[in-house]
Amino acid sequence: MPDTEVRTDVVTGVPTDRRESRGAKRSPVDALPPASRRYGEIGDRSTKPRWGMAVDIERCVGCWSCAVICKSENDVPLGMWWNRILTRGDDLDRPGEGEHGHLEMEWVPLACQHCDDAPCEKVCPTGATYIDKERLVLVNQDDCIGCRYCMAACPYGVRVFNWGKPKYPVDGGTGMVGARPVGTVEKCTMCVHRIAEDQVPSCVWSCPANARVFGDLDDPDGRLVNLLRSRGATRLLEDKGTRPKVWYLQPRRRRPL
Amino acid sequence: MTSIAADPAVALRAEGPSTAWRAWVGVLGVALGLGAFCFAYQWANGLGVTGLSNTVTWGMYIISFMFLVGASAGGLIVVAGSELVGSERFASLNRLAVLVSGAAILTATGTILPDLGRPQMAWKMIVHPHWTSPLMWDMVVILVYLSIAAVDLWILTRPTVSGSALRRMAVITLPVAILVHSVTAWIFGLLVARPFWNTALLAPMFITSALVSGTALVVVIAHVVERTTGVRFGDEHTLGDLGKLIVWFIAVDAFLLGTEILTIYASRVPDHLDQLNVILWGRLAPVFWAEVALGVVVPFLILTRPALRARRAWLLTACSLAIVGVFFKRVNILLSSMFEPLVGLAPGIPGGRPGQAFRPDEIYIPTWVEWGILIGMAGFFFTVVTVGVRRIVLDRAAGAQTRARAAFSRYMRPSAQR
Repeated sequence: MPDTEVRTDVVTGVPTDRRESRGAKRSPVDALPPASRRYGEIGDRSTKPRWGMAVDIERCVGCWSCAVICKSENDVPLGMWWNRILTRGDDLDRPGEGEHGHLEMEWVPLACQHCDDAPCEKVCPTGATYIDKERLVLVNQDDCIGCRYCMAACPYGVRVFNWGKPKYPVDGGTGMVGARPVGTVEKCTMCVHRIAEDQVPSCVWSCPANARVFGDLDDPDGRLVNLLRSRGATRLLEDKGTRPKVWYLQPRRRRPL
Repeated sequence: MTSIAADPAVALRAEGPSTAWRAWVGVLGVALGLGAFCFAYQWANGLGVTGLSNTVTWGMYIISFMFLVGASAGGLIVVAGSELVGSERFASLNRLAVLVSGAAILTATGTILPDLGRPQMAWKMIVHPHWTSPLMWDMVVILVYLSIAAVDLWILTRPTVSGSALRRMAVITLPVAILVHSVTAWIFGLLVARPFWNTALLAPMFITSALVSGTALVVVIAHVVERTTGVRFGDEHTLGDLGKLIVWFIAVDAFLLGTEILTIYASRVPDHLDQLNVILWGRLAPVFWAEVALGVVVPFLILTRPALRARRAWLLTACSLAIVGVFFKRVNILLSSMFEPLVGLAPGIPGGRPGQAFRPDEIYIPTWVEWGILIGMAGFFFTVVTVGVRRIVLDRAAGAQTRARAAFSRYMRPSAQR
């Protein structure tokens, strides 16, 4: 992409070179060495993709890499997480759960489920939360009035609110998207700015256990759909009828700890 | 039956700069000032200055909104209900009740503003509304409701109050007053994410609570107006008769709540039961049992006894407790669902502010900013009521004595008019 072209931030719509404190800079994806770039390429897709993700519970080791790179990639301020790793069978006073002497513990990486029938989108009074043409649930920060109705409506509790001036561990943040205004709601965008450059979301790219698979749910021969078909895949709170596009691949075998 | 004290001087006593009056104006001024300061402070610093978090995203502002819309709808439903059937029993209270309703709904609208993260962007709701959102429905129905209250007040303050016009208005007022609170209930009740809200009983429960708090509020304010200005509403039984109505409202309200709790408790749907347990035995139990004892049992016992009901001190105690009980009920309904998110696995939802960890067991404690804004809102409500009582209730009673006298006697006996 030529440097003279005005690039706009996919999340905030602000031209990239006007982003505070970071100024004009080359796309980080452009800056990647070809091998890394190839590693993150999305690959096969249908003409009108419907992006989704599979998270393999069997492979997840609960290392929080995806949570940390998500914060870094998206400039998620201190005290907030778009992506976090929940632990089933873990509590302060309960190190595991299970029956007949077989303790079990597993991790549930949780971020926006990008529901096809998203409760948050339905209740937004201004339409700031919308479903884009590739079926991702996104927030247009310009239209968000901060009523937090979407947070009350989200069954997964993955939305976070900008309670005050954002603070970053590094001045100006580390991320690739602009800062969000105080008093607005934000959440996982499935790294829509990376998808625009044919790259998988950061959490997928960074997972050391290869537990995440990103792809087009409408591509019947794609790797994602094949995986969902061959493995028992479930969705969170299936009974709520939200039809998430994030699927969880259940472990095929259980080992006593 | 005389509805208004005969002596205009008595009625006008409040207008003299007595010490009590000065003190009252002073209190209102301080409350409004405090509210304005806190709102400005919150606006400048973000909602982080409140006790809210990513787990408990709605708090005192929304609780007050629910309560005020209820208090408003309740008063107007009783007024419109008696107008509709041509009853004269509470006709002397009509103006005051419509005034209190209008003031309450104005204040309710006001409590929404500080809840917004960006109040300066509220116009976006008008520029590009998203009609699947119950919040939009609520905005529309509140606007309609406000206009109806204004028209009602206008009719009630004409020199000649037309009984038939009132009755025709009541046909519109009654459904809209019921709708305004139902839509407020549906803001919560239509959410699949909050099992404790997601019940068809929520709107009926909101209405019965509204009838309790709205009627009780009219009784308390009517008493204060009588004591401070010498105006009399109806005869000595009028307020006590409203107390009789409240008995039924409390009974139905308690019945609906009991049905809801039994359904959840007996069927034991896990998510639903978790949220119920928060109020029955959990972190909100003190508020819930206070609601039952002070808001239901005590007022019911007082108001069912004619001897106690006839005594002002007992009547006011019962009404005040009923109002507090309904407020507690709103607290319980809102927070129980917020405290127990559906996906409640460790480590929980991030707090949202720098240095805040994850919150597995969220507790919500309102900060001084929230209390300050609420005091300001109370100040606003009582300012509107005070100005309204002086301008609308008293002016007609004393200032335009002869005109009003004729109007009132005609109004009080609409049947004699025809």
